[in-house]
Amino acid sequence: MNAMSHNQAGNAYNFGFLDEYAKKEVRRAILKAIAIPGYQVPYASREMPMGRGFGTGGLQLTLSLIGPNEVVKVIDQGSDDSVNAVNLRRFIEMTCPGVSTTTATAECTLIQSRHRIPELPLTARQILVLQVPYPDPLVVVEPSEDKRKTMHGEADYSRLLVKLYEDIVKFGEITISHRYPTRINGHYVIDPSPIPRWDVPKLNDSAALILFGAGREKKIYAVPPHTKAEPLAFSDVPFRVEDFRDEQGRRRACARCGCVDSFLDEFVTDSGSKTYQCSDSDWCDMQLSKARQTQGEPA
Amino acid sequence: MNVEPIWQADVQQRVFRELVEAFSRPGDIREIGDCIDGAAAQRAVLATLMDGEMTLADPHGQIEPADWPLLQAKPESVERARYIVADGHRAPDFQPMLGSLESPEFGATILVGIDGVGEGALTLELEGPGVNGRRTLCLAGLHPDWLVRRADWVGSFPLGVDLLFSDARCLVALPRTTHIRISGKAF
Ligand SMILES: [Zn+2]
Repeated sequence: MNAMSHNQAGNAYNFGFLDEYAKKEVRRAILKAIAIPGYQVPYASREMPMGRGFGTGGLQLTLSLIGPNEVVKVIDQGSDDSVNAVNLRRFIEMTCPGVSTTTATAECTLIQSRHRIPELPLTARQILVLQVPYPDPLVVVEPSEDKRKTMHGEADYSRLLVKLYEDIVKFGEITISHRYPTRINGHYVIDPSPIPRWDVPKLNDSAALILFGAGREKKIYAVPPHTKAEPLAFSDVPFRVEDFRDEQGRRRACARCGCVDSFLDEFVTDSGSKTYQCSDSDWCDMQLSKARQTQGEPA
Repeated sequence: MNVEPIWQADVQQRVFRELVEAFSRPGDIREIGDCIDGAAAQRAVLATLMDGEMTLADPHGQIEPADWPLLQAKPESVERARYIVADGHRAPDFQPMLGSLESPEFGATILVGIDGVGEGALTLELEGPGVNGRRTLCLAGLHPDWLVRRADWVGSFPLGVDLLFSDARCLVALPRTTHIRISGKAF
């Protein structure tokens, strides 16, 4: 009787696709992940009807959290309209009757994302789920998982710091563009998923809970709200976000909305020149509509 | 068949989301009374989290015998259980699992039943992850030894226990990361 499925009206799937036992497993792991900020909690992952790398880890989190009154946003590399985002959104709509979906960051209660954190600051009534391909930042220095677990437990990141510093000596700066190792609450160092450096400061003192799901590695970890998140850095080489200045030192603007304080994607135009546009499509739409309003044009 | 709400999947989803909020925001009081329709909050939490994979200890005899088969949890000694149900009026006369450096998630989750969450003479000042600056929490009906023992249990992070206090309708969590002070004195 416990964990009974609520399969009314002969639906082919349980609400949220996963059976209630699979949800309980993920739910218990989520609560421990929140209680131990940055620690990778192992869980028994169920097979999903899609290839790994499709975001199954993130999706299992989303499906274990989701309720019928949810407003869900799915983004892939900042865009709500990529094939991946559309497919995941359709899957959620199909398996979670009653749930509504949106592209507007301001309106959603649950966001599943790959590679970006929205530009619009998240709020306390939102949860962000990030899809993670490689959860353990220590893999680059230690092949044995048992040894890595001990290193994490002892917060022994000396070898990771040495590796980072070697990069600096070689290239003159920290060259990591994505997955920047970040220390949570002064203890665990996490792989924050392939978000750009631009998004890393958003993990610090976030109003929203941020959850990370790695389907292949079967790990869940969390950055709770109002928790310290510090990118690893050195006193002589501080952490820096991406620099979007042109040759003249001016901040590049989005070619579509004119925004000068968002993360930009670079495109090559037909004529071969470079152009820049907001990576966060909802943010770009918002800026465009604001600009039109101030110019008195219809939004 | 008339199924009590706490055993229904949609109610368990709502209770779980309140647990997510409670553990994410220590000291934040989550009211679940309306969605569980008169059941005790602690029972609803057990129904939400337990299944045949989990071990559960009940050192103070809090769980109705009729609930055990529904919960499906494996009964375990209090020293070895992943989840523990306890009576907060009584001193915690046991040593729960604290987990290990390699697997701190084996540190027990302890569900502590008390008279009142958010009321009473005991006022805790809280700081730590999930707390925006500092906040206070009042508890009624908690034996004072709990805070002393907890300080012991959570003394070497990442080892520790995660506490969930409940009265009839409300929940509040104190994960192992929360720093507690009473009248300026650290616990
Ligand atoms: Zn733009």
